[in-house]
Amino acid sequence: MSEVDRPEFDSSEFDPHGMNPEDFLDEVHSFEFWFQAVEGYLTDNPYGHESGDEPISDRPDDLTESDKDSLITTLCNYCVGETAALEGASGMIAIAPNRHSKIFLATQVVDEARHLEVFLRRLQDLGVTDPEGEIERRANPTLQVFKRRLLELVKAGDWSAALLAQNVILESMEHAAFLVHATTADPVTAQILNGVMKDERRHLGFGENDLGRLLSEHPGNRRRLADIRHEMDGLVLAVFSRAADDLPGDASMREAMGREYIETMDRLGLV
Amino acid sequence: MNDPNEQAVLSEVPRQTFELEECGFREVPKKWRKFYRHWEGPGDELGPNEIICPVCKVVIRSKREIRVGDRLYCMPCMSRMIVVLGEDGTLQTDVTY
Repeated sequence: MSEVDRPEFDSSEFDPHGMNPEDFLDEVHSFEFWFQAVEGYLTDNPYGHESGDEPISDRPDDLTESDKDSLITTLCNYCVGETAALEGASGMIAIAPNRHSKIFLATQVVDEARHLEVFLRRLQDLGVTDPEGEIERRANPTLQVFKRRLLELVKAGDWSAALLAQNVILESMEHAAFLVHATTADPVTAQILNGVMKDERRHLGFGENDLGRLLSEHPGNRRRLADIRHEMDGLVLAVFSRAADDLPGDASMREAMGREYIETMDRLGLV
Repeated sequence: MNDPNEQAVLSEVPRQTFELEECGFREVPKKWRKFYRHWEGPGDELGPNEIICPVCKVVIRSKREIRVGDRLYCMPCMSRMIVVLGEDGTLQTDVTY
């Protein structure tokens, strides 16, 4: 049933702030919640953007050859990040400690697969005939190191460290990059990025809140996770340093996004 | 509402209530959408029934005026929070894990 076909209902009785905490957590972790949420912004947006009458490759854009080359490199790195998130989230389902987390991660796997698909599609729109080969050639080596480290944590069954690396650090890194990029991107790429960021809001929130609950129950984990954070931070900084060459954006916005990441770590006490 | 004393006096005054309507926020199921809106940046003035989620920066909306001690939920990012009085006298939130 599409959103348009869904019957109207009287929403006056609903108030999320009046829910008890258990009902709230049940609701927001549910597959049904995810399904109705993404339906709201993905319907009529195949491959993450509004469909036009003409093929996208025939639409005018202001990209110079140099702009296009930089965009292709950036999109290749997004594909590496999304592949890491896809493999990370799918592996984490098996080690997730409860039903809420398993169901939520299943929805995240679908989100990450969609992100990878829309970025691959955008590469093809830009004339890249062998996206997989192009990613291999252009991927930032430090991002590949980050991906390997994340998957090591997942493979080791280290739930709290994997959650930190995947849903807090990687998602923060992606969100920051997408937010800055969307302010200067061509209209199609910007629309794709804005759609992806709507999903990232859930992923980041899940990471911070689940990790926050875990640290409240097991505060002894904080020192170990802070050490992992510092190890991963080095990789994140190296990725951003290199990405800055390909990713135009306002310096003040970059600083603002860095502040948000630090605020998140402060709230979690991972300093 | 910058004066903490003003906040204390207000707690004895009946709360304002609000009829909410959707503001174009589509990232949660339809029945919850009117409780959230996108924040438009520093020039976006919040109403007495609105507060910014510290985790995802979406504006959380309530059917009633928000006061210290209220519990609010941010469905877009799954966060639970309690309203507190910030050091500058403004209403802020503490995320409760």
